[in-house]
Amino acid sequence: MGDLIRTLRDRLMAADRDGALTATRELLDTGEDPTTILQDGMAAAMLELGARWNRGEVFLPEVVAAAELFKKCSELVEPALIATGQRQEGHRVVMATVKGDLHDLGKNMVGAMMKTAGFEVLDLGKDIPAPAIIEAVRDKQPAIVGLSALLTTTVPEQRNVILALEEAGLRGKVKVMVGGAPVTAEWAKEIGADGFAPSAPEAIRVAQELLTAVSSTGT
Amino acid sequence: MTEPRIRPLPLVRKFDFVPEATIERIHEASLRVLSRTGMQIRSQTLVKALEAEGADTDLDALRVRFPRDMVEEAIERAPSSFTMFARDPDADVVLDGSSCYLTCDGCASEVVDPRTGVMRPSTKQDLMDTTRLADAIPEISIAWQPCAARDVPTHVQPLHELHAQLLSTSKNIQQMTVIQPHHARAAVDMAAVVAGGEEELRRRPLLSAFQCTLSPLTLDGGPLESAIIYGEAGIPCGIVVMPLTGATAPMTVAGTLVLQNAELLGAVTCLEFLSPGIPTFYGVCTSTMDLNSGSLSLGWGPEEQLYSFASAQLARRYRIPSQLGTFGTGAKTQDWQAGAQHALSGLTSYLAGGDMLCASGTVYGGRVFTFENMLLDSELLDIAVRVLEGFPDGGDELAVDVIDEVGPGGHFLAADHTLRHMRELWQTRFFGRESWEDWEAAGRPEPKHRARDRALQILEEHRPMPLPAGAEEELTRIIERHTEEGAIDG
Repeated sequence: MGDLIRTLRDRLMAADRDGALTATRELLDTGEDPTTILQDGMAAAMLELGARWNRGEVFLPEVVAAAELFKKCSELVEPALIATGQRQEGHRVVMATVKGDLHDLGKNMVGAMMKTAGFEVLDLGKDIPAPAIIEAVRDKQPAIVGLSALLTTTVPEQRNVILALEEAGLRGKVKVMVGGAPVTAEWAKEIGADGFAPSAPEAIRVAQELLTAVSSTGT
Repeated sequence: MTEPRIRPLPLVRKFDFVPEATIERIHEASLRVLSRTGMQIRSQTLVKALEAEGADTDLDALRVRFPRDMVEEAIERAPSSFTMFARDPDADVVLDGSSCYLTCDGCASEVVDPRTGVMRPSTKQDLMDTTRLADAIPEISIAWQPCAARDVPTHVQPLHELHAQLLSTSKNIQQMTVIQPHHARAAVDMAAVVAGGEEELRRRPLLSAFQCTLSPLTLDGGPLESAIIYGEAGIPCGIVVMPLTGATAPMTVAGTLVLQNAELLGAVTCLEFLSPGIPTFYGVCTSTMDLNSGSLSLGWGPEEQLYSFASAQLARRYRIPSQLGTFGTGAKTQDWQAGAQHALSGLTSYLAGGDMLCASGTVYGGRVFTFENMLLDSELLDIAVRVLEGFPDGGDELAVDVIDEVGPGGHFLAADHTLRHMRELWQTRFFGRESWEDWEAAGRPEPKHRARDRALQILEEHRPMPLPAGAEEELTRIIERHTEEGAIDG
């Protein structure tokens, strides 16, 4: 049994689509605990891949391909998880590329990798005006809202969204993360964002830190 | 995966950048210089020998004028392709015009100590270390002596230098400091010890050499006699000229090229008549004078690129392998100036189709050797190789299927096609590619710091191929004998 979990890990890290899905099915067929499949197999693979990426041993396309495959494997495991009543809601994240900006590749990468890290991701899409983001925050009550912008002309919209959150009285209820090529740590600080990351894997780490801070202060 | 010992750089295309008519005018003008002005050959014996071969000589003035036919005959005699052998057969250098090879330079008198960063006079140990580094880096194919052994008795310095090279590399050793016949004979003896005897040395000479002219138009007796001794032993011996525009050469680019070419052809003519058929090469380190100081210009620019293009074309015209002075920089460290000048000259010499490119590892006009530069130069050459290799354009590479699969607005990041081809993308070893934040956090590292770390790691780990049993003792005996003889003579 442990061997099959290892096989799933290896195939997921190698982004071997057929191989990973087959291993997931075989594990479910043999009656393996779906939580074990998810944690020891799939999540462990993504964690290891992230560590390898950090050391420069694998490239980003490999990480993204594995993340997409993770989603497919999750779809197989999910019914079994629900059946056992073990499914836990992950922390919810609302993401959007801000108004005026059609670039969503970076946001999609962050979203895909957040899902593999156990977050529940609600992706609003691209060119999203501030009121729509406010509405989603009010209705869905996420722990984090992620705002992406690639252009120097759309980056200021990140500040507008934060101001709109304040006006709506929601700013204290959600952590704001900003990202995008022209975004810097200084900019994030200037507009009063809670978190910034220059890359997708780094974004996961920052998000986890923000949530740890939330739970430890009890706010 | 084991790295190859040497990395020949494919010469897929050679750019004849200088107009053909200009090359012909330079050629014709050089022949006029050789028949009208001639050269000074500073040895009565050699002048007499050249007279017997048909040269027009003035024994008192040691002046030798070369008739056109004689020069053309010499060019014919020089082999158009040959192999420079290495002790390790995997490192043999085949000079047949299909590949270009990177070599070091140039007997720098100082090194920058990689551990302290301080510039100081070079030692025999430095020569061993720099040669060992060259031995470890596949991009360096020929182990030209990177620095001088300045801490040994000067009357046997060339022998100590060869000793250091023999101990430190199994690649082809290019010797340049032997310029006296008795040293040349000792060098042949030492090479034979390592090769396994004179016959074996002749079959696979692990040594190559070159001799320099003194611009303008002078060739000393010692270097020519040494070259002849090398020829007898089967060792290739190139000619390298180093005229300085405005000082030891005319002020114009064309005039400098005429002088350079005349000097080279004159020396090749001497060599091919006194040692017929000896493998030789067209070596140039032509540069310009600094108009303020009168010394070698440290501001390498367009003239040096033109000299490289023209020299490669002239050598091709004569079907003699070329060795081009490359990687020249006046910088004192691995800054923008060093990077720009090395990149420009490296790309130019490579595009020009030079057979051998030298000077990797040097700064300050070739006077100072830096370990990190040799690694940085190899990265620059790596880029040039990839450019000249071009790109494949088969069905899978044209990617119509994956473009359809992804469609408008999608992304290619995780496509199978991407995963299949991503390792073909060139990867830098030394250029900075970290984010601004990571760069700040790491203390603002520069490419030179990564290169220095890698150089120190190589020096820590790399062990050259050991010498055959008993060879080291025999080499020491040869050097001791010459040390004593020199002391008695002195």
